[in-house]
Amino acid sequence: MALLEIHDLRVFYGNIEALKGISLEAEPGHIVAILGGNGAGKTTTLRTISGLLRPRSGSITYGGKSLVGMQAHAIVAMGLSHVPEGRRIFGILTVEENLNLGGYLIRSNQGLVKERKAAVYALFPRLAERRTQLAGTLSGGEQQMLAIGRALMPDPKVLMLDEPSLGLAPMLARSVLKTVREIANRGTAILLVEQNARQALAISDQAYVIEVGKIVLQGEAASLASDERVQKAYLGGFEAVAGA
Amino acid sequence: MGPFLEYTVIGLTVGSFYALVALGYTIVYGIIRLINFAQGDLSMVGAFLGWTLLVSFGFQRLPLYLALIAAFVVPMLGTAVVNLGILQFAYKPLLKKSMLAILITALGMSLFLQNSAELIWGPAIQAYPPNLLPANGLFMGPVHLTYVQIALVFVSLLLMGGLVAFIQRTTVGTAMRALAVDHDAARLMGIDVDAIIRLAFVLGAMLAAASGVMLGLYYVQIQFTMGFLLGLRAFTAAVLGGIGNIPGAMAGGMLIGLLEAYTTGYLSGKWEDVLVFGVLITVLIVKPTGLFGERVAERM
Amino acid sequence: MIARLADHRAGRAFIASRDQLERIPFFIRVIVILAIVGGSVLLNGDDYVTSVAVSVATYAMLGLGLNIVVGYAGLLDLGYAAFFAIGAYTSAMLMTIAHWNFFATLPLAVLFTGTAGAILGYPTLRLRSDYLAIVTLGFGEMTRITFNNWDYAGGPNGILDIPWPNFFGYQLSTQGDFFVVGLVLLAIAMIFAQNLDHSRLGRGWVAIKEDEFAAESVGVPSLRLKLFAYVMGGMWGGLAGAFFATRIGAIDPTSFTFQLSVLVLIVIVLGGTGSLPGVLLGALVVVGLPEVLRQFADQRLLIFAVLLIGVMLLRPQGLWPRVRRKPKPFYGLQEEEAGDVAARILGEHQVQMEERDRRHAAAGHQVPQPGEALLEVEGLVQQFGGLRAVDNVSFNVQRGEIFSLIGPNGGGKTTVFNCITGVQKPKRGRIRFDGRSVVGLRPHVIVSRGIGRTFQGIRLFKNMAVFENVMVGLYPRHRTMTWQAMLHTPGERTDELRTLQESRRWLGFVGLESLAGRLATELSYADQRRVEIARALAAHPHLVLFDEPAAGMNPTEKLELVGIIRKIRDLGITVLLIEHDMSLVMRVSDRIGVLDHGVLIALGKPAEVQQNPTVIEAYLGRDEDDVIVKAQGA
Repeated sequence: MALLEIHDLRVFYGNIEALKGISLEAEPGHIVAILGGNGAGKTTTLRTISGLLRPRSGSITYGGKSLVGMQAHAIVAMGLSHVPEGRRIFGILTVEENLNLGGYLIRSNQGLVKERKAAVYALFPRLAERRTQLAGTLSGGEQQMLAIGRALMPDPKVLMLDEPSLGLAPMLARSVLKTVREIANRGTAILLVEQNARQALAISDQAYVIEVGKIVLQGEAASLASDERVQKAYLGGFEAVAGA
Repeated sequence: MGPFLEYTVIGLTVGSFYALVALGYTIVYGIIRLINFAQGDLSMVGAFLGWTLLVSFGFQRLPLYLALIAAFVVPMLGTAVVNLGILQFAYKPLLKKSMLAILITALGMSLFLQNSAELIWGPAIQAYPPNLLPANGLFMGPVHLTYVQIALVFVSLLLMGGLVAFIQRTTVGTAMRALAVDHDAARLMGIDVDAIIRLAFVLGAMLAAASGVMLGLYYVQIQFTMGFLLGLRAFTAAVLGGIGNIPGAMAGGMLIGLLEAYTTGYLSGKWEDVLVFGVLITVLIVKPTGLFGERVAERM
Repeated sequence: MIARLADHRAGRAFIASRDQLERIPFFIRVIVILAIVGGSVLLNGDDYVTSVAVSVATYAMLGLGLNIVVGYAGLLDLGYAAFFAIGAYTSAMLMTIAHWNFFATLPLAVLFTGTAGAILGYPTLRLRSDYLAIVTLGFGEMTRITFNNWDYAGGPNGILDIPWPNFFGYQLSTQGDFFVVGLVLLAIAMIFAQNLDHSRLGRGWVAIKEDEFAAESVGVPSLRLKLFAYVMGGMWGGLAGAFFATRIGAIDPTSFTFQLSVLVLIVIVLGGTGSLPGVLLGALVVVGLPEVLRQFADQRLLIFAVLLIGVMLLRPQGLWPRVRRKPKPFYGLQEEEAGDVAARILGEHQVQMEERDRRHAAAGHQVPQPGEALLEVEGLVQQFGGLRAVDNVSFNVQRGEIFSLIGPNGGGKTTVFNCITGVQKPKRGRIRFDGRSVVGLRPHVIVSRGIGRTFQGIRLFKNMAVFENVMVGLYPRHRTMTWQAMLHTPGERTDELRTLQESRRWLGFVGLESLAGRLATELSYADQRRVEIARALAAHPHLVLFDEPAAGMNPTEKLELVGIIRKIRDLGITVLLIEHDMSLVMRVSDRIGVLDHGVLIALGKPAEVQQNPTVIEAYLGRDEDDVIVKAQGA
């Protein structure tokens, strides 16, 4: 059984069915890419797993235990971290304070908190230089690094990232995704939602393509990378021009 | 020059009491965008609980520091329980509903506290033991400071300092500051948002209770209606400083205290409230984010 | 089984008789009921009971006034006693110092309160609701304190020996006399309130209360309407104040405390905000309960506080809730043939457009012809903190075309829309519509200039019927004034019928006429989207902005949407579209602009854009040259 298993997940926003039966799996050390156009349901999937949304039906199993109905903060305590879309760092707090909050669950062991912070700074040296700076004054890329670093503080077994390359210049996006690959190589299971399909597929092991709440393509990332249908899913293919 | 310094001293003393209540408003509002109308009345409840302890139960006959410690601690705990009750039974069920509904309920709560106090302690003015604290003082330059003033301001500053230290230096305090920005992101850190909200209500209540006891010790006379104007002044202070902004609330409290003192001293007590309200309305129209800027939850 | 049948039949009979009662015009019902109630009280003859009845009437009057502010417009006013005070003091002072007749003081009392309301309301009604509550509370207190300190008005002692009113020689003196006057005022208040509720003003208020942002964006001037409500409610409080002054004979500041404001609030909350019978019931409870439960009179405020909280928690709609029975749509309209409808709409629209072009040319503005630029966006820049959401974007939308704005998530498309429709003010740049700048104008003004919009994620007024939603969109096109609405003049009636007809035509245009009477929330997502489109079209815009109209639709519905968009273009309306469904965009657009990271990276015909390598890269990412190592196994 996979570390994280989602089966036939259905999620509603009021009367609108946003997820119409999503199933996927994640294993330690593997990156699973979740791709698709806007409004397809990628963010909804992550938010449901991390507990910010309740599914109408379906199962979410982590290490054999069901996560459905658990409160978000309890799910984090179990070892799943979610880096939300748009980073959502606490702008009025310093970099250091943001990381401290990342270590909220281990706050009673300040020695451990220090250790983990050091590890994050080693992974993202730019953050170390700016530890006393207000997070709101960081650049987009630095904020992304902070968001990831923050999520790593509780040493999660599953890390979920929602569009980490959003708003980043291509080179920076590449660097961030490289770091994500490193994190996976250390044994963390990763769910990566991305708009930037090519770069995401380049570092992933498996991939799912979601369209209008359903999975329309899935498989090994390498084979999907050269699959024409991925492009179609994003750009509507080579259809008739307006007026037809 | 004489009267000016005297008014300043009075203003700062009373201002520190307002600051405590303002902090209660600001902490709660910053996290859940709710004006807890009952905040001023919590102060009144604290004052009466202290009175009950000192006068009805005779604690005033104990050694001074024991009496005072009890007179502070017990009301603080009592009002914390009351405020938690208000949160659980009245506010929590309505937090997702309309703003109008919550405001009306908060108003109802304030009324409820006021009239319950009238029922329990009676409508008449009660008095704190007037000879509990030494009445004399000392001179600092041209200004006369009573020991009461010094002691109470000292306690206020201690409480405020404690709160600031908690908010700035501890992880839980930082979590509280984070809640003023983004609830969901906080949840994703493993922070139990509901628990922190409860903590905010407890802290707000304790500060209010402390200020109530201090008002009792300072002015001696207390009445069940004292919460109304106190609450409005403290809310004005919080808005003046920037709602949700903790140092702002403290500064705002001092400023309102000074405004009150100067108005009563130079003009007359009759126009004091009009001026305070005038300040409130002007701030809200001209610079609604206050002197030091707001800190309010953007994403709840 | 038989019992249930009997129940069923009795139930049906009850509903049938209730429906029959509904047919009788409201004002007749009011007059009859008040006459019956009033008659029985007077016949009873007990002076004490009559006096209590007068108090009930007074609180009911105050409740009706506050109901307009809180119940209709949704503004929490905690200082209503101020209006009561101003009216009372004005009347009292004029009667005692200038020896005016009571009835002559009324217009002035109303005028002063209205003016006070306008002065207080204008700067403060933009505040958010919790601040507004405190500010109004402050006003209430300030008014009381001012009267308390004002010696000319009697200071803390107030004004004594206020004479009783003299009505053309008849001297009013008994409680019975006052009761009759009170009932008359009550009847008038209720009729006016009902008329307002059913006018475009009432619809506007409901819209604002539900979703102020959406209301403003479809043409409802929200600030103005809030001010109306506040001033009108206030004026009614002033009238009640004048009545109170002459009835009691003496007034002082202690009659106008915060406690009174709270009591009036309790009257309407208990009864049901927005409900006219509820207000009467609330007044009855608030005045009557302490009379009946004499032993608890001292604790009445405590009991009221508990009732207030209880109602909010358990029955927030009140004891006699406002009933918005599903209105029969298009009652009283003539039937029209389908072809007729289409021709009518086209015809009217042509007339509108030609009229507009003529006015424009006469005013010296340039009139864009089909094919020329209708909307010009030049150098648009928008920044949020450090993030540049829109970076120097320039494009034109030609009159008569369908232009789509596409691009990856976060590209800035909705921000551009928000700048065009006045929701945001751009940091820099020019936006010209029809030759005139629209930067910095309020959304409802932009609607009146001729730009309509729908929203990402539908924003309909949920508690209104479908056709009422469309009628809100017609707000800018009404021609009657408020006072005509209050009196329900024939002019206003014709206007209402006209807008009813128009809303029906637009619903027919989008194919939803059969669902017109349903509540907006009952419709499917795709149908709700169509209602939103009808609402946006109702104001006869020349440019419509659709923000992700196809989101959440299935392929069939998307096809229908394409049909509607083409029909709109055939009317001569220009369409600007944000969409993510590429096949839809390619199918329907004349030209496409692509926004990525706030920059316009491509502009042109669909086929060109689709093959543009920069565009493909923006969506899918650049091809990677270096190989990134993957872990082998877990």
